[in-house]
Amino acid sequence: MSKDIIEVNKLTKKYDGLVAVDSISFKVKEGEIFSLVGPNGAGKTTTVEILECLKMPTSGNAKVLGHDVKKDDDKIKKKIGVMPQDFNTFGRLSAEENIKLMGDLYGSGNLKEIMRKVGVDKFKNKKFDELSGGMKTKVGIGMTLISNADLLFLDEPTTGLDPHARRETWNLIKDLKKMGKTVFLTTHYMEEVEYLSDRAGILIDGNIEVIDTIENLIEHYGGGIKVNVLEDGEAVNIINDRADEVLKGEEGTWTGIFDSKKEARKALIKLFQLDSKVEVQEAGMDEVFIRLTGGKIDEGGELV
Amino acid sequence: MKRSFSLFISLTKNWLRSKSGVFFSILFPIMLLLIFSTIFGGPAAAEYTLHVEDEDVLFEMELPDYETSLTEGDVDEQLRDRFLDEDYDISENAKMERDDKDWYISDGEERVYHLKVIEGEDLIEVYGLSKVFMEALDATENLNIEEVTNLTEYRKENGEFEEHRGLRIEEGFHENALNKSMELRMAVMQDTMVRIYGRFDMDDDDEANFTEGWDTLNRTSENISAQYGNITLYTSPGDQAAPIVRGTVLGVMDTFNSQMVGLEDSTVQLSEEEVGKDRGLEAVDYYLPGFIAAFIMSNGIIGVTSNISEFKRNGTLKRLTATPLKKEDWILANVAQQTVLAFLLTGVMILVAVLVFGAQAYPGPYSLALIFLGSVAFCSVGIVMGGLIKDVEAASGAGNAVAFPMMFLSGAFIQIETFPSYLQTVARLLPLYYFHQGLREIMILDNPSEAVMAFLVIGAFALFFIILAIKTTRWKDI
Repeated sequence: MSKDIIEVNKLTKKYDGLVAVDSISFKVKEGEIFSLVGPNGAGKTTTVEILECLKMPTSGNAKVLGHDVKKDDDKIKKKIGVMPQDFNTFGRLSAEENIKLMGDLYGSGNLKEIMRKVGVDKFKNKKFDELSGGMKTKVGIGMTLISNADLLFLDEPTTGLDPHARRETWNLIKDLKKMGKTVFLTTHYMEEVEYLSDRAGILIDGNIEVIDTIENLIEHYGGGIKVNVLEDGEAVNIINDRADEVLKGEEGTWTGIFDSKKEARKALIKLFQLDSKVEVQEAGMDEVFIRLTGGKIDEGGELV
Repeated sequence: MKRSFSLFISLTKNWLRSKSGVFFSILFPIMLLLIFSTIFGGPAAAEYTLHVEDEDVLFEMELPDYETSLTEGDVDEQLRDRFLDEDYDISENAKMERDDKDWYISDGEERVYHLKVIEGEDLIEVYGLSKVFMEALDATENLNIEEVTNLTEYRKENGEFEEHRGLRIEEGFHENALNKSMELRMAVMQDTMVRIYGRFDMDDDDEANFTEGWDTLNRTSENISAQYGNITLYTSPGDQAAPIVRGTVLGVMDTFNSQMVGLEDSTVQLSEEEVGKDRGLEAVDYYLPGFIAAFIMSNGIIGVTSNISEFKRNGTLKRLTATPLKKEDWILANVAQQTVLAFLLTGVMILVAVLVFGAQAYPGPYSLALIFLGSVAFCSVGIVMGGLIKDVEAASGAGNAVAFPMMFLSGAFIQIETFPSYLQTVARLLPLYYFHQGLREIMILDNPSEAVMAFLVIGAFALFFIILAIKTTRWKDI
């Protein structure tokens, strides 16, 4: 049983009366990738920056690695690795020099090994200002990793990256888990949450709407598995008999919605035996978010 | 300490790789030092142009009639007669001299008349003392005389300050100056006779002669209706050279006046001696400490304020606050970087000053100590301002608004003795005043004991602002 590495209890942050984080509570387990997901302004960065000791909570408390975020800044900062939102560093220093500086500040890390792991060694002498977005993110993760910390905070690490660079970053984050790191990730990309996370919390207007494993979230809030039958006849009867909800579509198609994977599987076996033409749509985090909030998050992170 | 050192190295590298940073921190001050030292410390005195209109034409002669008279050597009779016709006397020993296309009649020692040949009009204009006066002006070190035919028209056509600067020698200058000189000579004689009367034993004959002479003098003096020979000086209110030109014209006038009344000698004599020469001090040695102090100040207040504000804006500072680095480490690294920059600036400026201008000033340990305190003080001001002002543009503007007035009001570039008294008071309230004054005492005058006040003021200033920087720098909720 993994121990809780972060414990957040009724954490609240207000700015001039505006509530950014509203009495949220959750725990993060050792060795997992935990994602806090939500649109811009939901309070993700405020939450993560309180945990990083960059902001002081208005009320409530949080413990990171057993230390109080209000009192134990020094202890916590030595034990965590951080990649802030819109990460930046000294633009006229090279990639290597920036990672080395972080190593010096933490008094730790094997520079060459870290650069090799995150793929910075190929452009280590290039100045940070001259790097592409994807390269900068690799440097940022390198600067986070060289802390030798077991708990890493990555605040929207893939925002603004092209699909290729985003995919590379995801692989890097997956590797972090393999290294035994605990990763606290914030993002507004549902695909990223689904691909990377063990558990996720959905944050809207400073409140955590739900928090669970990705599987449970999809199962409970994803709206089930959709099986589309493209013809009338016996296949429709199978759907009608076994699906939790049946919808008639245009041009004679029918959709059966199954809450249970087991029931969906049984129905599909019958349909395949009939050699029916079917389409299967599995629910994902997008559906979970839509069902919970009634909206979607666009590429820019805005709730629409 | 190790963290501060690593950050100091990174800050320094980041700065050294910024072309604009290096330009404004090192090269720009050197450029200004070169410019100031060249303008105000060059071997030749500055020369100011003065446009002169001479209205005082004594008379005119038709050129064909007198063409044969224009030959070097003795003055021919035809010309002498013509001058006599106009009531102007030419001495027996007078000679004709030629200078380019103009002719002069000199009395053996000085040119008395100027015969100006007007091309195209076959005319000779004859000038007298007005030209003597103009030549005296032209002979001064700092005036370059350019003659114009009409000052008013010239001013209308040209707009620069030096073209508005002009002198008109009014009509009748020669005549009036001569008459006035006669009147003054007679007044001097009358005064002299009054002073000597009764001091010597005189018999009846002497008494009678004295009385006759006295009466003659009085009668003659009553017949002279003397007016001043007038000249008018025109200057623009914004012409910075006007006081120098005015002073030079007045000086020439005094000499001219003395010579007109026959005074070849003077009663008071001025001796001049340039002090500081025993150490071979040059103008650059005055500017050097001023520029070093002023740019250490501006690198701190403008440079550090802008840098910190930019690091805040672009997230670099947030990245650093998320590490085990403490804000004291951050402040220490910035101060260390500015101190190294200050020493670098000092070294390069002294090197340039020595190589280009042969400067004699060297920084000893006291200078280095004061430079260190100055760096700490002004860098701390920059850290405070950069920490308090959120907007990068506003931070840069605020830095400029503080640094530039201080730079000029403190007397770093210009001696404050030339300021109005209230601005001198303002200057003495500015820390930069004590900084450059202290450096000057140590580096130029080799008088560290006179820099105690500078050490106290800059030291207190540094202590106050470093404490304020620690208090105001936010390491959370930035």
